[in-house]
Amino acid sequence: MGCCDVFAQKAIKMHHAYIDKFAYQDSPIHRIDARVKFIIAVVFTAVVISLPRTSVSILFCYAIGPFTVLVLGGIPLRFVFKHILLVSPFVLVLALTGPLYDKRAETVVFGPWDWQTTVGWLRCYSIIGKFVVTMLTLISLVSTTRFAELLAGLRRLAVPKILVIQMGFLYRYLFLLIDSAHHIIRARVARAIGKIGFRNETRVAAAMLGSLFVRSIDAAERINVAMQARGFEGHWRTINRLTIRGRDWVFAAVSAAFIFGMYVFVKPILG
Amino acid sequence: MHMANELLSVPVAGGTLAVAAGGLGLICRKVSRIVTSDKLPLMGVLGAFIFAAQMVNFQLPAMPGTSGHMVGSVLLSIVLGPHLAAVVISSVIIVQCLIFQDGGLLALGCNIINMGLVPCYVGYFLYRAVTVGKSGSMRTYVGAMLACVVALEAGAILVPVEAVLSGVLAVPFSTFLVTMVGVHFLVGLVEGLITVAVLAYLQQVRPDLVLEALPGRIRLSRRTVLVTLLVFAMVAAAGLSLLASSMPDGLEWSYAERPDQPGFKPIITNENTTIAAVDKMQGKYTPLPGYSIRGSSSAGWTSFAGVVGSALTMAVIWVVATFLRRRQLKCTTRI
Repeated sequence: MGCCDVFAQKAIKMHHAYIDKFAYQDSPIHRIDARVKFIIAVVFTAVVISLPRTSVSILFCYAIGPFTVLVLGGIPLRFVFKHILLVSPFVLVLALTGPLYDKRAETVVFGPWDWQTTVGWLRCYSIIGKFVVTMLTLISLVSTTRFAELLAGLRRLAVPKILVIQMGFLYRYLFLLIDSAHHIIRARVARAIGKIGFRNETRVAAAMLGSLFVRSIDAAERINVAMQARGFEGHWRTINRLTIRGRDWVFAAVSAAFIFGMYVFVKPILG
Repeated sequence: MHMANELLSVPVAGGTLAVAAGGLGLICRKVSRIVTSDKLPLMGVLGAFIFAAQMVNFQLPAMPGTSGHMVGSVLLSIVLGPHLAAVVISSVIIVQCLIFQDGGLLALGCNIINMGLVPCYVGYFLYRAVTVGKSGSMRTYVGAMLACVVALEAGAILVPVEAVLSGVLAVPFSTFLVTMVGVHFLVGLVEGLITVAVLAYLQQVRPDLVLEALPGRIRLSRRTVLVTLLVFAMVAAAGLSLLASSMPDGLEWSYAERPDQPGFKPIITNENTTIAAVDKMQGKYTPLPGYSIRGSSSAGWTSFAGVVGSALTMAVIWVVATFLRRRQLKCTTRI
């Protein structure tokens, strides 16, 4: 909305080409069961978020986890960091309010150096650090798991069937409709000369949205007929049977050991 | 308006996730009882439509360089009815989180409540209350406008409430609230204008859609909506009063005694033993962790070691993985 729409658009444009590229690769991480990866990602995120508000250095230690997963999964780190930058503006703005409002002085000692700063800045760094670590976690989940598998896993984790099917359809037709939105936008750009005023601007945008809406409904009708003809009864049939195998247990055990070890041994030292 | 993980504490994130999951579960159960399988593609494609519609941006007046786009929750709840719209918008928010990393994994509960459930139901109720079943175009437009402004405001007010309950932000609650309400009033106005314009367009091209005749649409009885709204208002009021009584904000710290900082002179001293005990505990367990206070340099070295060690570990992992992959590639090419 409003402030972040430019970035959201950039993100969508960028993803259109990139999104499936990495999830359809193959690596030891890609082969791990979607449920296991999802649960570990949620737990890890919760642990990172629950760290104290002003601790910064421990976040580097926590970053090792998702970093390792990304590297093992063969995901290019440039892509990952570019992506984190794209989605960061809202968090950055809120993080930067820290130094503005919290000006209690604080001396930071870091190795041979020490300098004067404020609690607000520490909070700011902490928010940004947590943002980066949790984003690494989310990206390492999504870019190593095919969306269909993730959905099947979510269904097994008791997410309502109708919501899972809804997301499946949404994902299936998302890029199609984004493409047709691009066509409409290009047509507007090709025809617009100079400024046309807010009134006309709104009218044009409404016509674009309206025609997109009617188009989507018509497309849905055709899809429905086609799916009914092929025997769709309200649930997906998949060949893939989700089973938790040995390597899933190993991954789960290693991750649990990492999270637990961090919590018990490193957290008391670094905070 | 997508909340990020970092703006929430784990209890608040867990609580909102539970509320969102419960609400969404109930709605899904109701929807799956009513909706037949031939409506599922329609819902899915309309979810994709919301994504595409958010890409169609337009210049805002008086603010050159900024552009707005549609949010779509109110339009969808007018056309589909609130239940289906809530499911569709929630699925959009989940996909935005998972695929586009808009908003965090733990903040999903908050985001579903703020941007999905609340706007859909509030917007629908207001729209219905104004139009009262009649389809005079003026009524439709006023209703849609009002629904957009109030629905988006209702969602936006929840953001600072959740953030302050989590106690993460340094910004005073009132400042954040005023900013959010102000910004989202404008966002709501723009959303209202564009929704009205889209409804006007649809009335010309496909009048059946606006006349609530889209197949698969579920209406809601007025009583249900009123009761839901009442419960919601009560919960909100309870939350707000809780907030007022115990602001878990950074502000408190600057007034109370700080056992971890002997040189700190409290402005207010509290004789209450519980508060003192809590304060002491807080001082003991979160004394600006990772950073030594006043001179003791050993903690500084530990954090230094932590950061450098982690960086080295990651570098080693990266180098080893790259090396292994190269060797693997060589092997495959040789074969």
